[in-house]
Amino acid sequence: MKIAVCVKQVPDSETRINLAEPSAELDRSGFTRVLNPYDAYAVEEAIQIKEKLGDDTEVTAIIIGGEQVMESVKKDCLAVGCDKAIRVTDELDNAEALQIAKVLTAVVKRDGYDLVLCGKQAIDDDDSQVGIMLAELCDMAHVSVVTDLEFDGNNFTATREIEGGSEVVKGATPALFTCQKGLNEPRLPSLPNIMKAGMKPVELLTCADLGIEVPAAHTEITTYIPPAKRGECKIIENEDPAAAAQELAKLLREEAKII
Amino acid sequence: MPNIAVFIEQRDGEAKKVAWQMINHARKITDASGGEVWGVFLGKDAGNNAADAGSWGAHKLFTAIDENLAGYNSELYTTAVASFCSANNPDLVLMGATAMGKDLAPRLAARMDCACVSDSIDVNFDNGFTIRRPVFAGKCYTDVNIKSNTAVVGIRPNSFNLDQPGSDSATAETFDPGIGGVTPKATVAEVKATSGGAIELTEADVIVSGGRGIKEADNYKMIEELAGVLNAGTGASRAIVDAGWVDHSHQVGQTGKTVSPNLYIACGISGAIQHLAGMSSSKCIVAINKDSNAPIFKAATYGIVADLFDVVPALKEAIQSLD
Repeated sequence: MKIAVCVKQVPDSETRINLAEPSAELDRSGFTRVLNPYDAYAVEEAIQIKEKLGDDTEVTAIIIGGEQVMESVKKDCLAVGCDKAIRVTDELDNAEALQIAKVLTAVVKRDGYDLVLCGKQAIDDDDSQVGIMLAELCDMAHVSVVTDLEFDGNNFTATREIEGGSEVVKGATPALFTCQKGLNEPRLPSLPNIMKAGMKPVELLTCADLGIEVPAAHTEITTYIPPAKRGECKIIENEDPAAAAQELAKLLREEAKII
Repeated sequence: MPNIAVFIEQRDGEAKKVAWQMINHARKITDASGGEVWGVFLGKDAGNNAADAGSWGAHKLFTAIDENLAGYNSELYTTAVASFCSANNPDLVLMGATAMGKDLAPRLAARMDCACVSDSIDVNFDNGFTIRRPVFAGKCYTDVNIKSNTAVVGIRPNSFNLDQPGSDSATAETFDPGIGGVTPKATVAEVKATSGGAIELTEADVIVSGGRGIKEADNYKMIEELAGVLNAGTGASRAIVDAGWVDHSHQVGQTGKTVSPNLYIACGISGAIQHLAGMSSSKCIVAINKDSNAPIFKAATYGIVADLFDVVPALKEAIQSLD
């Protein structure tokens, strides 16, 4: 079985966005970049499937970006068990999801993967789009926000999270899944494996190599806007917790008018 | 003169409230700029939706009634809405940023090769659509302009207020969903409800959340009891989810859910930046923490600096004794 895992490098979740006023640009230069946390579940799931099915299974990590993304690819993909990586080198930083999906589609169609795994969303753009678009453009089944995945030959049973419950979806490969926290526990790379990861093959590609033009955008971000400032916190000063709680309940009822 | 289509999500025949919120907002745009609001309904029975959609402001309700559209299937629903769009050419397609809408919108936009904007909180029209949406889980917002002829836009529930319903009815029309020759590659075999009828966080008006301050898994009961008297959803910080005390479906923050209830009560949560990102657009925030320097107090509307083991049960009693 050929498995692709599509990954992205994103600013760490502890990142602060320093934006004093609305601006046409967002300065991203100081951000610490890590593998998108949801992509780690996709990588882990691919490796677990390979461990179950044996060595005929090959796991390829696919990423789009400059040389700086290779740190995440080596440490969080190759060092934990992906067999190889493909990096598309075109300048597509901050591209919209459909542009990314079109480039990934060219790679997936060229290589013919049976299974494609993605994170359920990237924690910078919060689009939750790329994986599902990729499935559509490759004419594959997809299941999004997956918390459980089982295979019986080519047939899969996937559980996905919905409001107040879950949906159990059945189908057959080729298929794409977007992975949610809870699907598995991503392993950490060992130091020797990080060293060895540098020896695993990494194919560099451009859109031109894939026979496509760099896709055009359908949207344009005109402005980045800081969140509205919140007022001062009103601290309820009362030594007696029960009295403080009563005062709070009264404020929520009479001042905030929300209970 | 924009024509705006609104996808009316239903589960078991019941339409989601976010559909009426979107229709209501779309009608304000078309009242100012011309054009029409079109409800789009897929299901096995049109029910009362023409009357409901009309009362909230839709000019027309387009329905595709088919046994195969009774429940959600991503491929069949994509084909059906795409069929509607190619026959009617709406300038914008709105759908709720729900589990269903988030699954459907990208597939539909890829099929139609048009703009797709997720999880948005506002839509404005002035010679073109501008969509406002949070990024980085709400640490920042963006205004997005649409450059394609049409666009699929997901709207976060409760972004728009609902006015009083009117007495108009929408003109009922039908359309061919074009699913006759489609065999879906995947199908929903079963829909399971979480036991206990937990209130979904993204739809809750009130959320009570617990963090590391609750000290051990068993004490989460205290959070649930306070939530019980407020008819609230129960949230959690990443720390206690990672510790295995609470299921991930309760996690609020950048790697959990982004929520904006009317009231968010944070109990024993210090307020890590990734947690604040997920809840700081809540209308009123209450922080209960014994550390007066905890960052949560910077985001809070009201704060009590004390041990949550004293305050939380007392707050439950205080709320019960209101009225």
